[in-house]
Amino acid sequence: MTINKIFIIILFISLIQAFSNNTYAVEPDEILKNQIQELRARNISKNIRCMICQNQSIDESNAALAKDLRILIRNKIQEGKKDEEIYKFLTDRYGDFILLKPPFKLSTLALWVLPFIFLIIGIFVIFFHNRKSKKI
Amino acid sequence: MVPSLGNLALWLSLLFAFFQFIVSRKNINLKFISVSVIGLLISSLISFFILMYLHIVSDFSVLNVFQNSHTTKPLLYKISGVWGNHEGSMLLWILVLTLFNYFIFKLLNKKNSDFILKTLETQAFITIGFILFTVLTSNPFERMIPAQANGLGFNPILQDPALVIHPPLLYIGYVGFSAAFSMSIATLTLSNSEKILWYNYMKPFVVAAWTFLSIGIALGSVWAYYELGWGGWWFWDPVENASFMPWLLGTALLHSLIIVEKRKSLQTWVLLLSILAFLLSVVGTFLVRSGILTSVHTFALDPSRGIYILTFTALLGGYSLMLFATRSKKYFDNSYFNFFSKEGSILVNNIFMVVVCATVFLGTLYPLLVEAFTNNKISVGEPYYNSTVIPIIIPAILVMGIGPILDWGKEDKSKTFKKIFPSVLLTLIMTVFIFLFYQSYSFIGIAGIILAFWIISNNLLILFKRNKNYSIGMIIAHLGVGLLILGITGSSVWQEEKITRMKLEDVTKIEKYNIVLKKIDEIKESNYVALQGNFLVYDEKKNIIAKLKPENRFYPVTNNFTTEASIHTNLFRDLYIVLGEGNLSDGWVVRIYYNPLVIWIWIGALVIFIGGITSTNINLRKLKILSQ
Amino acid sequence: MKKQLLIIPSILFLLILLALFYLLIIERNPSELPSNLLNKNVPKFETESLLKSKKFVSTKEFGNEVVLVNFFATWCKPCRDEHFYIQRFANEKGIRIVGINYKDNPKKTIRWLKNLGNPYSDVPIDKNGRIAIDWGVYGIPETFIINSKGIIKYRHVGPITKKMYRKINLLIKEIE
Repeated sequence: MTINKIFIIILFISLIQAFSNNTYAVEPDEILKNQIQELRARNISKNIRCMICQNQSIDESNAALAKDLRILIRNKIQEGKKDEEIYKFLTDRYGDFILLKPPFKLSTLALWVLPFIFLIIGIFVIFFHNRKSKKI
Repeated sequence: MVPSLGNLALWLSLLFAFFQFIVSRKNINLKFISVSVIGLLISSLISFFILMYLHIVSDFSVLNVFQNSHTTKPLLYKISGVWGNHEGSMLLWILVLTLFNYFIFKLLNKKNSDFILKTLETQAFITIGFILFTVLTSNPFERMIPAQANGLGFNPILQDPALVIHPPLLYIGYVGFSAAFSMSIATLTLSNSEKILWYNYMKPFVVAAWTFLSIGIALGSVWAYYELGWGGWWFWDPVENASFMPWLLGTALLHSLIIVEKRKSLQTWVLLLSILAFLLSVVGTFLVRSGILTSVHTFALDPSRGIYILTFTALLGGYSLMLFATRSKKYFDNSYFNFFSKEGSILVNNIFMVVVCATVFLGTLYPLLVEAFTNNKISVGEPYYNSTVIPIIIPAILVMGIGPILDWGKEDKSKTFKKIFPSVLLTLIMTVFIFLFYQSYSFIGIAGIILAFWIISNNLLILFKRNKNYSIGMIIAHLGVGLLILGITGSSVWQEEKITRMKLEDVTKIEKYNIVLKKIDEIKESNYVALQGNFLVYDEKKNIIAKLKPENRFYPVTNNFTTEASIHTNLFRDLYIVLGEGNLSDGWVVRIYYNPLVIWIWIGALVIFIGGITSTNINLRKLKILSQ
Repeated sequence: MKKQLLIIPSILFLLILLALFYLLIIERNPSELPSNLLNKNVPKFETESLLKSKKFVSTKEFGNEVVLVNFFATWCKPCRDEHFYIQRFANEKGIRIVGINYKDNPKKTIRWLKNLGNPYSDVPIDKNGRIAIDWGVYGIPETFIINSKGIIKYRHVGPITKKMYRKINLLIKEIE
């Protein structure tokens, strides 16, 4: 009984490194010394999708690819690359799907413009209704 | 034997639903209706509790029990496992439908019989749709032969008290909206001679539905915060959005009903909203169960289910909206709305709620459409919703503060300043106080705190004035919203995070606290083994204020690893610790979060719930008096 | 309010319904992950080779004939499972396969290939995973089909199963 328990726990401890996919995210050794650069890295990471998780950013995920991309982003920041260059690097390889904030393109024009149009339509509906009504 | 009984009860309930659909007509003996309603309720109760029995006794000859349960699962989760899966959750849907069906039936009297009968007929149709879907595509009583000795278990992160009641509360919400939907259909099919105050019937159901949907959504967020390990509580996940959209329309509907009651105008709009709120609830069901999305929330993927639900939605929506297009004109009236009035502010609320709902709908579906029609695949995540939804919510909250104190018809502007001056003053005082306490200067932070206290002070003042003209339910619910905004602002804007590697006896400082790792334990429970970190938290006076024990668990049956955060809560902040990987020589990765004001999110949600229940009771009493 | 406007909700509903039906019927796989590099040139890279003494230079290795590229590692169980089919591609179809060794230990890899058999014409080493990122890899194993002009024509995420083996065979024939 005790041997089984020890075995399970040792197995568990060694497996947890490889297979857990829950929280963790940024590790202490990844954090850049320069706080401004680190903040840039965190902000970019929050906008990058973890491709093998469900609805998480690489900032939140423990997946191997997420960690690799976090480190890659920090390296590029330290090399002096701008945010747009880093985003382009990633979308060239993984497509627009990797961006959590959809890009401004022809195909996403409706996505970005429609909410504003909804608001205007809503306001106009009231105005037109009022115009045709009698005052109480 | 028992599973077959359950299946029999399910088919029986389908029969009763058909029967109710047929007999809910004028000039029918009321006994028939009574038999159908009660028969429907009892048969659905029986089938539901039989499934529960099968889960409790771990009858693995039933496929549903095999796929979702295990003998070592704690009893509470054997019970909640009944509705934690697709097939079982359908039985819960049906049960709540039959319950509300019964409540509607209890309102029946000589004066309203045409209206209630038509409502019952529509409800019967909806119930038939759900039961038929269950027996045809998702029968929980399907057998598994040969029966296995044990089941596949159940995802451990779903074994949580908040998730036990999260689905039932949501379903009460959706089914409440189905009642409003049926009443809208009934109203539209009434001939001109019947003058029934249909909105008085609809209102308590809408308020109840909204209240339970609110607390249901809140509990989902509570679970996410405590369970998922990084202090987040809303992710704009498509299935979260599927519950948020009916909630938004429900909020608009709730407020418009107030105008209809008071001024008899906006009836056409309310009839439309009540149709749309339920339609969105059904479309939400489609999104979750059809397989066109993947999400942490979606149930098993099966396109045949998707086709059925979509067809059902098409029938329901097509019929109701065509009815609306042809029959609602007579409810239309030409009254004028002054923007600077109580009804004006409710209208503004409606516009904002509908616009946010349309935006969330757009954001949820857009990636699917892009993928279907182009070769590209895009994501629409949190940053999109932050950019589009938050700018609209902010003015909505501003209006929410002042709206209740404006007059009906037209506000006398000379009096307004006197009315709001105390709350403006109170807001400023409370805002300054918070800033002295937290000493953080951020624009979003300022905006959030001002908005929160704007709502809180306006409602506190109404409360103190003890003015009978104001609905106490509204005051409490609005107060809850103010507290909610306070919690959301504090926890989003002023969160502090420390990520570090700690060996035994190492100290980490966060804010004014010193946190020491004292030891790492190995613990064993009935269905998991875990590594547990023991941390002591010292304040600046070197007193121990908390012992935190985060765990990393392994559940052997389902082969799952989970992380359990350890949280110390008080009114001002949460201290939230998560244990990462590591070993004795290198130390352990430790994540510490300082989350200010988080508890006010949950307190706010609870207060909203209390306000909603209060209002539901008041409206029910009004209805009882009316229907006598 | 014109009576005609009341029909707007029905029309919008109909449009949305049609869109949803369309989404259902086209049988998307929501977990399918598209490759952004389809119909683009193979990424340029140069790295040490496990099997040969000289470096692996991508510009020299692609653009001559149809090639399969397989990202693998010894610590990856699905890679072990699919090895049978990778070997079949090499033996039965005579297709050249490049195996990119991802974040692995060279000694372990050599032993692994000795024990299971080596289907690869060459094994470039991707020590830190950067080459995989350049290929837009999500996780191993992943297999790419490159045509004779050095253009990426297809990418499969996950192990090669019996079904995938047949599908990739057909695709290779089409591409040739």
